[in-house]
Amino acid sequence: MKPEIVEEIKHKYGDRANDSPFERNLYTRDLAPVPALMVDPLFKTMPDLVVRPANEEEVAEILRIAWKENIPVTPRAGASTTYFDSIPVKGGIVMDLNLLRGVVGLNEERMTVTVQAGTTWSELDDYLKRRGLTEKSYPSSAPVATIGGWFCMMGYGIGSLKYGSLLSQVKSAQVVLATGDTIAVTPDTDPPLSWFAGSEGTLGIVTWLELEVRKLNPMKHFLLKMDSVPEMAQVLKEVKDAPVIPYNLHFTDPACVQGMHALGLIPDEVGEGCLLQVDYEGAEQELDQAEDIIRRIVDQHPKVKMMPGEMADLEWEERFKALRLKRGGPSVLGGEVWLPIKEVSGYLADIAAMSSKYGIRFMSYGHVVTPEYVTVMTMFYANEVNTINYMFSLGLTKKIQDVGFRYGGHPYGIGLWNSPYITRIYSRKELAELRERKKRLDPRGILNPGKVYRYPLLFHPFTFGIGANVMAGLIRAAGRGGRR
Amino acid sequence: MSTQHENKFTTLEQEALICARCGYCRNCCPVYRVIGWESASPRGKITVAKDLYVKGNKNALSDEFIQRVTQCTLCGACNVVCSTSIDLRELWIELRRRIAEGGKNPKGLQDIRKNILDNKNITTFDNQDRLEWAQDLDDPDVAEPRDGAEVAYFVGCVSSFFPQAAQIPLANAEIFGAAGVDFTTMGGDEWCCGFPLIISGYPDDAREFRRHNVEKIKEMGISTLVASCASCYHIWKYESREQLAGYDLEVLHTTEYLARLIEENRIQLNELDEVITYHDPCDLGRNGGIFDAPRKIINSIPGVRFVELAHHGMDSLCCGGGGNLQSVDPQLAKEITKLRVEEIKETGATIVVSSCQQCEQMLSAAIRETGLPVRVMDISQLILEAME
Ligand SMILES: Cc1cc2nc3c(=O)[nH]c(=O)nc-3n(C[C@H](O)[C@H](O)[C@H](O)COP(=O)(O)OP(=O)(O)OC[C@H]3O[C@@H](n4cnc5c(N)ncnc54)[C@H](O)[C@@H]3O)c2cc1C
Ligand code: SF4
Ligand code: SF4
Repeated sequence: MKPEIVEEIKHKYGDRANDSPFERNLYTRDLAPVPALMVDPLFKTMPDLVVRPANEEEVAEILRIAWKENIPVTPRAGASTTYFDSIPVKGGIVMDLNLLRGVVGLNEERMTVTVQAGTTWSELDDYLKRRGLTEKSYPSSAPVATIGGWFCMMGYGIGSLKYGSLLSQVKSAQVVLATGDTIAVTPDTDPPLSWFAGSEGTLGIVTWLELEVRKLNPMKHFLLKMDSVPEMAQVLKEVKDAPVIPYNLHFTDPACVQGMHALGLIPDEVGEGCLLQVDYEGAEQELDQAEDIIRRIVDQHPKVKMMPGEMADLEWEERFKALRLKRGGPSVLGGEVWLPIKEVSGYLADIAAMSSKYGIRFMSYGHVVTPEYVTVMTMFYANEVNTINYMFSLGLTKKIQDVGFRYGGHPYGIGLWNSPYITRIYSRKELAELRERKKRLDPRGILNPGKVYRYPLLFHPFTFGIGANVMAGLIRAAGRGGRR
Repeated sequence: MSTQHENKFTTLEQEALICARCGYCRNCCPVYRVIGWESASPRGKITVAKDLYVKGNKNALSDEFIQRVTQCTLCGACNVVCSTSIDLRELWIELRRRIAEGGKNPKGLQDIRKNILDNKNITTFDNQDRLEWAQDLDDPDVAEPRDGAEVAYFVGCVSSFFPQAAQIPLANAEIFGAAGVDFTTMGGDEWCCGFPLIISGYPDDAREFRRHNVEKIKEMGISTLVASCASCYHIWKYESREQLAGYDLEVLHTTEYLARLIEENRIQLNELDEVITYHDPCDLGRNGGIFDAPRKIINSIPGVRFVELAHHGMDSLCCGGGGNLQSVDPQLAKEITKLRVEEIKETGATIVVSSCQQCEQMLSAAIRETGLPVRVMDISQLILEAME
């Protein structure tokens, strides 16, 4: 980036533009614990400048400069993603969107709220709850994830099973394109709203969204315990297909339950096995009906145990705390798979077999997000202090995705690190269509370059596969995967 | 489904590795909310700490980083949300200790230490003048040190020496008198509780101050100690266990003790026609576990309409006055106070009550500046007003 452009933006934005190495360095990472050894030689994750626009006009002005000068711009909000989605790989400008914050308006007749893209889901919830309302769905990272960030990712999480994807709840949005032009988008405009959902900041910067809200209803929570994965999968299916749709349906596999015991995160009386958390929201009558359904299912499965109500309530309260398990690490590696529900049993059996093969405990939990799909997070402990061993462990993350792929699954979210799998995620035709959109809206490729559409040369699926297999093989041969 | 919710602190190195970089701790942090840069967020600071102490990158101990470590009110809001249950407050204090140990502490914090070591209090006043405030009592002698009293009132440095805060010990002494409490103070033998030393990075010095105060209390044969400063209370209740081992001392904050006096009908409260909100001091509420007592007191006054602030209880928002922030960055502290004053304004309250002289000073100054028609009162002042 030309020094005079850096100076021009700094001059305009004062203490909201920063090019000090100290500050920029903090914008070179997200949650992904990838060693510098593997990143720095390949990618320029250090931005030349970080700027924090305070409104849509400023977003547009910065983009106009970047467009003119061909400068890469990486949008960043909560940076709670794990695939370097909001990390630059070609330097340039990081646009920190956290100042685009707050509710613009509430329309109780339309039952929609218009909210700036950098507002977190927890902040929006605070606002709505005070008015007897709440969101239809939100990610399980609500304390950090922003409305715009989740929209630009896949948009499935808590509440999606009952209320659908975030895209289906958004009525309209405002987007600043790479050129700096601002457009209003709805499902019927050209380009339509759907283009921007899951676009990971590669097509435009969303500044506000209008989304549906719902009445804040009472809830009922149930926690079921079963001995085996097949029984859990069967009960999960019955719960999901019953006449009352759960708001949230979440399972924990036996290895993950063991991991939670090891850290004292669950009471001893839970014992070994799988857990299934079922949460309902709705009118009292609906909740009573839901309770009848759960009791009937439990009666029909003599081995399924209903855990005390307080445990179910607590599990719900701690729905944002999946990372508690990291205390057993200190590092955690893994992969998230978008998987057909009917394949959960097979997937978890293969993962368990992998645990024996590599002498590593692979722990899985999952959220049912549509009537057909579940997002499964499978993770294992590693120690990044031991760099060489750790790099071998990274090879195992591909093994997780391979098991998912065998069962009709694919990675959830792309960014940089899942780009070798794009042909698993999209068909040839879909990929061509996506590339067309990119060419039309950002022909110079300044918005979040290096993500989503293509893999870097070194990440060619063939070479990437060989590399990952070799690393995983070394872990197995060394037999020091950290058996626990 | 945790069976235990306490945050944990093993070593700085281990906790820095455990941090998932999830960022849950950003938006609740008042400093991040004002500064807005990632380096000012708990996630950002812990990332640099990891660079420095886990990866051994000595260059990471830059002036910018040291500034960020001191730009923290130690309010503990980050503890509540931390997704890996790190006791972040403990971590920030350990970072300050390491910085101080390396001789890199900012001058403001070094000055605090010098004052305390020289004068036994945070000011430059002679410690023997601790009971100056009592001159305004009808009988100043009631506050003089006396062995075997029912209650020892630990006044704290700010209330003892700062004229703006003197109303707090005066109100407490008057209430104690009206309720017939047999109370005393430690007079010139009361030393700083050591809290400002700990949070400036000098825990070893602080230990000596705790030892002195505990010895004195033992000598006086005291069985109940009441503190009106949230930080002093914190030190007596949670940090003095080693020194108090084997000695049975009941430690109470004034909110707890005054609530008890009300419950025992030793104080009569008259009607007040006011809308009152309560600001939870971080060291008393989130970091000390006292939420109910002050609310009970306010709600026991006839005629009062009590309203909660948007952020209250465990989620309370700091006033900006914690962590010695005023000594290193008074402007930042002021900006944080403004966030809290906005919330006070939204409640429509006529009085904002707190139970920490530091919070009250910060809020008073900011409210005065904005011209908001709201009175700032300590809980003891509110009770006194309702008694009159
Ligand atoms: C504990 C935990 C639980 C999680 N649970 C879920 C879950 O349930 N469901 C789920 O989908 N994900 C989940 N995630 C992943 C992540 O938190 C979410 O995808 C989240 O919505 C990302 O939001 P963010 O604000 O952090 O975005 P960022 O990570 O900052 O950005 C995400 C992507 O969107 C782009 N972007 C951000 N804001 C904008 C904008 N306004 N305009 C244009 N582009 C933008 C960025 O460039 C980047 O490509 C979880 C993560 C964690 C750590
Ligand atoms: S203690 Fe308070 S001010 Fe300090 S980092 Fe945590 S939230 Fe921020
Ligand atoms: S909430 Fe805890 S784990 Fe997450 S970034 Fe902050 S310190 Fe790290």
